[in-house]
Amino acid sequence: MNEYLSQVNAGSIYLIVALVLAYITVMCLVFLLKSYRAGIKIGMDKKVLNKTILSSATFTLLPSVSILLGVVALSGTLGVPFSWLRLSVIGALQYELNVAEIAAQSIGLSGLRLEEMSIGAFVTIALVMTIGILGGLFYSVFFLKVYLKKIQKSPKKEETGEKKKPGFGAHATTAMFIGLCGTFIGAYVGKAIPREGSDVMPLLVAIMAAAAMAVFEFFIQKKGKAVLENFSLAASMLIAMAGAVLIGLL
Amino acid sequence: MQETKVVVLSEQDKAQYLEELNNGLHRLGRFLLVSGIIVLSLVPFLIGMLYGVSPDMTAFLAGYAKVAVVYLPVSLVEFLVYTPMLGVGGSYISFITGNVTNMKIPVAMNAKEIAGTTVGTPEDEIISTISTATSAIVTTLVIVAGVILLVPLQPVLQNPVLLPAFNNVVPALFGALGLKYFIKSPQIAVIPVLFMILLCTFVPSMISQTSVLMVPCGALALAIGFILYKKDKL
Repeated sequence: MNEYLSQVNAGSIYLIVALVLAYITVMCLVFLLKSYRAGIKIGMDKKVLNKTILSSATFTLLPSVSILLGVVALSGTLGVPFSWLRLSVIGALQYELNVAEIAAQSIGLSGLRLEEMSIGAFVTIALVMTIGILGGLFYSVFFLKVYLKKIQKSPKKEETGEKKKPGFGAHATTAMFIGLCGTFIGAYVGKAIPREGSDVMPLLVAIMAAAAMAVFEFFIQKKGKAVLENFSLAASMLIAMAGAVLIGLL
Repeated sequence: MQETKVVVLSEQDKAQYLEELNNGLHRLGRFLLVSGIIVLSLVPFLIGMLYGVSPDMTAFLAGYAKVAVVYLPVSLVEFLVYTPMLGVGGSYISFITGNVTNMKIPVAMNAKEIAGTTVGTPEDEIISTISTATSAIVTTLVIVAGVILLVPLQPVLQNPVLLPAFNNVVPALFGALGLKYFIKSPQIAVIPVLFMILLCTFVPSMISQTSVLMVPCGALALAIGFILYKKDKL
């Protein structure tokens, strides 16, 4: 087995990750019990509370399986335990991979490529991934109380008949992600141009992933199969990755 | 579970109770987040200690700066938009356990709809917290089960035949994600994507600079998006 991979898949790292996840899960359980008791205290029906638990658990099952597919996708370069940690707390697949790629380039690698990885590179990449995602947590620690109080206290505006224009916030996030994806797609096209050091594989994989996603989007948007939304990203990636293996074998 | 005394509350008492409940959730939530930040930040250092290495802080800062430029504004937007939907307890749980848009928001909205609660009431806050906490716990359990199944598959996953798959996981991500976002707002996408394709085609040295280029490219997309928004073309 590759030395780096055996290091990042060591039993001790599994143990560290398991302890961290156990702590956060216990804290979630504390929130759950505290709220459950509060519900009983103010006279909420136990049946409603139990139904909330049951429906939330069943609602979560399918998307959780898709997160697991993400763990498979990440584990090839970052090992199973760290991928497990990253996708169990705070993160999401698209963030983790993008940040890992940025961090890999920052330490002088050509990207997140297994043959260039070492345990030294790994710990730096892991730190960038961990600290980089903490923005939402910092905002919550410092501003959540004030912000939610303000929101809850602000008087509801009277309906004027005319629909209020939604803010730019949602479009801003879409635009930022378009910029992000556009940058990488441009780089893959540039890399595929025949010249010294060219590599057509990244572009082919991106095209296969886009094609798979287009099929998913067709069924989600046109055929109303909203349940596929949970799987479309991870499954498209795995299909394209399988395509890369086939191309590699040819 | 210990027996809890049931009380019937008037509207005024309810408002007072909501305030008390929220204050308790804020205290617990802040403790969870601060302790979570410390514990999570220690993990890379602990792994490094196992092998006698430590993170390269210069590379870390360079990488973090590039990440922060994109993700601090994104997480601010998420914070402002999602927290009112998630309530106090739901927000703290969601921000530490992640998968907010694809899981916690739909779970909380679904639970509140089933329970028929109204925004700004203790019931709404309670349902939101219970649903997000349940969701976080179930996700962790499912992934634990999956990871246990993955461990024996390690030799298969590390077969050299699979190397092209794992080396191209990033292109797979941006191909799939790109399509999703490009069809969402093609009018924003066309100029930045063409610009990047032309740049990387005619200036090959730019290909390895994606982590720097995504900042101006993101800014360009944002500017186009803003102009289109102002003109009501989105």
